[in-house]
Amino acid sequence: MEESKQKLYNERLGRYLAAIKRKPIDRISTSIPVGSYADAISGYTIQELMYDPQKAEDRAVKFLKRYPEIDTFSAGFSSAVDFDILNSRLYRIPGRDIDPNSIRQFNEQEWMKADEYRRFIDDPIGFRMDIYFPRILGEYEKRGSIRSYIAFLKAGMQQGIAREQSRQINTRIKNEFAIPPSSQGIINAPFDTLTNLFRGLHGIMRDMFRQPDLVIEACEAILKQNLASCVAMADPKKQLPVWIGATRAGFLSPKQFEKFYWPTFYKGLMVLIEAGWTVRIFIEGNWNVHLDHLAEFPKGTVLFDLDNDTDIFTAHEKFGDKNAISGGIPTDMLILGTPEEVRQRVKLLIETVGKDGGWIPNSGGSIPAGCKPENFQAVLDAVKEFGVFHTGPAPKPEVSDMLDVKPQLPQIDRFITSWEEVKESNNWKIPGDEELIKRNWELFERMAYSWVISRR
Amino acid sequence: MKELVAAITNLEEEAAVAIVEKKLQAGVSAHDILAACNEGLIAVGDLFSEGEYFLTELMFSGEIMNSIMEKLTPYLSAGETTATKGKVVIGTVLGDIHDVGKNIVINLLKGHGYEVIDLGIDVPAAEFVKAVKETGAKVLGLSALLNTTYPEMKTVIDELKKAGLRDKVKVIIGGAICSEKVREFTGADDYATDAIKGVTFCNKVYGHE
Ligand code: B12
Repeated sequence: MEESKQKLYNERLGRYLAAIKRKPIDRISTSIPVGSYADAISGYTIQELMYDPQKAEDRAVKFLKRYPEIDTFSAGFSSAVDFDILNSRLYRIPGRDIDPNSIRQFNEQEWMKADEYRRFIDDPIGFRMDIYFPRILGEYEKRGSIRSYIAFLKAGMQQGIAREQSRQINTRIKNEFAIPPSSQGIINAPFDTLTNLFRGLHGIMRDMFRQPDLVIEACEAILKQNLASCVAMADPKKQLPVWIGATRAGFLSPKQFEKFYWPTFYKGLMVLIEAGWTVRIFIEGNWNVHLDHLAEFPKGTVLFDLDNDTDIFTAHEKFGDKNAISGGIPTDMLILGTPEEVRQRVKLLIETVGKDGGWIPNSGGSIPAGCKPENFQAVLDAVKEFGVFHTGPAPKPEVSDMLDVKPQLPQIDRFITSWEEVKESNNWKIPGDEELIKRNWELFERMAYSWVISRR
Repeated sequence: MKELVAAITNLEEEAAVAIVEKKLQAGVSAHDILAACNEGLIAVGDLFSEGEYFLTELMFSGEIMNSIMEKLTPYLSAGETTATKGKVVIGTVLGDIHDVGKNIVINLLKGHGYEVIDLGIDVPAAEFVKAVKETGAKVLGLSALLNTTYPEMKTVIDELKKAGLRDKVKVIIGGAICSEKVREFTGADDYATDAIKGVTFCNKVYGHE
């Protein structure tokens, strides 16, 4: 990277990381989640953005040329090809099932039945391969057919390709525009995984009343899986935060939240935090009654993106001294309001929640697709007008002092067929170097295991 | 019957179903049992709007009701209608498939004695207009959870105007994204971000205050 670009990159990253760590900054960070808005103004349909990596790249390029004020941008390519290859029934795909301009839709159902918890918990791989996949993956419905084998083969190949496509876009964005991404790696709250992918809102609601112990046990089982796959994807330099969408807590009473949601959610995030990562959580829906819990996280470890329904001022009062908050510009204001209203709102938020830098502009979770461009510009202008603390240099991106700390991961065997098993069943005598063979066998076993566990 | 009301109010499913079975065996009329159940559901709705109960609890009261209805249905004589407080047409607008909130509003309205014509989800403007015309309902409820549906809600109201129905029906928009701003933009009469407001609105329109 050119020197001037490297400098700019470091400023943006340094400011963002310092905001999360609650250290002094030169101005309010503009690490604003703009995904849907960037889609909307790209000039492409959502279908095009999901099928054509060139267009996805161009979307990012166009956006960043227009808005150089932005501090971070997540430019990845979320390919729909994968959903065709296996015919995932969890999603309705723009241009294939729904209007090319509508966003991908999640098809929530009771994909796992109420009486299947035991198998789900005790045999995560068997449950998926025998029960869950035939339901959610159309191409796997006829297991054992030629078509089903080829579908899995193609899906495996596609995973590598999609990763490379995303990497290329990100590299260009970094080198040409000097912009870091806002997060690296994802983890879900176990309760959300269970609800979204397996039981659905109605199913989980009944289970909490009718079989509460199994819900808790399932969340614990999921936590182990989620942690293991998250750590493999998180930023090895421990700078960028891990991203979490916390989606289903807004439904729960405080008692249910404390019993079903919080324990495994908190435990999982603390494993990451204690190993030196920070996390960025989208607090979806109304968390007003759960805010005290969010105050439990240690200082400088979490950035909270608050949805419209959660009161940002109360949140700030409860934990604003410890951790940074983003949000507070009502979504309907960005869509229907005027630039002056937006300016006043940003001013208010900077003077209160952001008075010492612990606020990042955002509406409920992200800038909406329908945001008026003059309103988005008003956000950026107001940051320049009210959000500059000093004109000195931005803080340098801190290198983690916890690089050597290993996360305390729960022990699970992440193999489907262990080396011992394959060696024995084939009666291999191994006259040569066993380690060499075993290492590669296990590498691919772990990849396959993760693929099966996280497949949707 | 007090026991039954209490069991539903406290969300005790097994107890509630057991009481219903006992009552049926003792020859109590299914209609009286149903009335007690509605009383329980309204109590749950009240607790919900007071912030005592949360969404999953409100939803579970609907589950309990389903279990009870399995027992009651064979005893409810077919075709029998009870007088209603008025008709309400309701649906989730085109492009939006969220219906959890809408269904809660419907249950609550039914509990309060309204006849509800549920058009379901992803409903085009023309269907709302048609239903209002055919049923003569004085209230139309539009549910929407996506910001992208602001223009669609406006379209429904514009279409009502074109059909000459706007002064015959009061429109309330509902869903977490609704606000005074959105109401103004769409031209609706009122907006709601909770279910109870739907009931108060209907009571006002139909004069049941
Ligand atoms: C459950 C849910 C889903 C479920 C819906 C299941 C179902 N059968 O409804 C599924 C998973 C299918 C889903 C899909 C999608 N969802 Co969704 N979903 C939610 C979620 C988590 C909860 C919504 C809900 O049920 N709330 C509970 C009910 C009780 O509340 P309510 O609807 O507001 O209703 C209450 C009041 O508003 C009022 N009310 C409601 N309607 C009416 C009507 C009248 C007349 C009256 C008087 C009152 C009234 O009374 C109710 C009871 O108090 C919200 C996030 C959140 N936490 O709110 C996102 C959310 C609504 N979804 C969102 C999105 C983006 C989507 C998808 C596009 C995602 C995707 N990419 O697939 C699709 C949309 C598909 C489509 N075309 O509609 C966004 C919308 C963003 C926005 N503001 O525009 C939200 C806000 C999440 C977010 N923060 O990003 N979703």
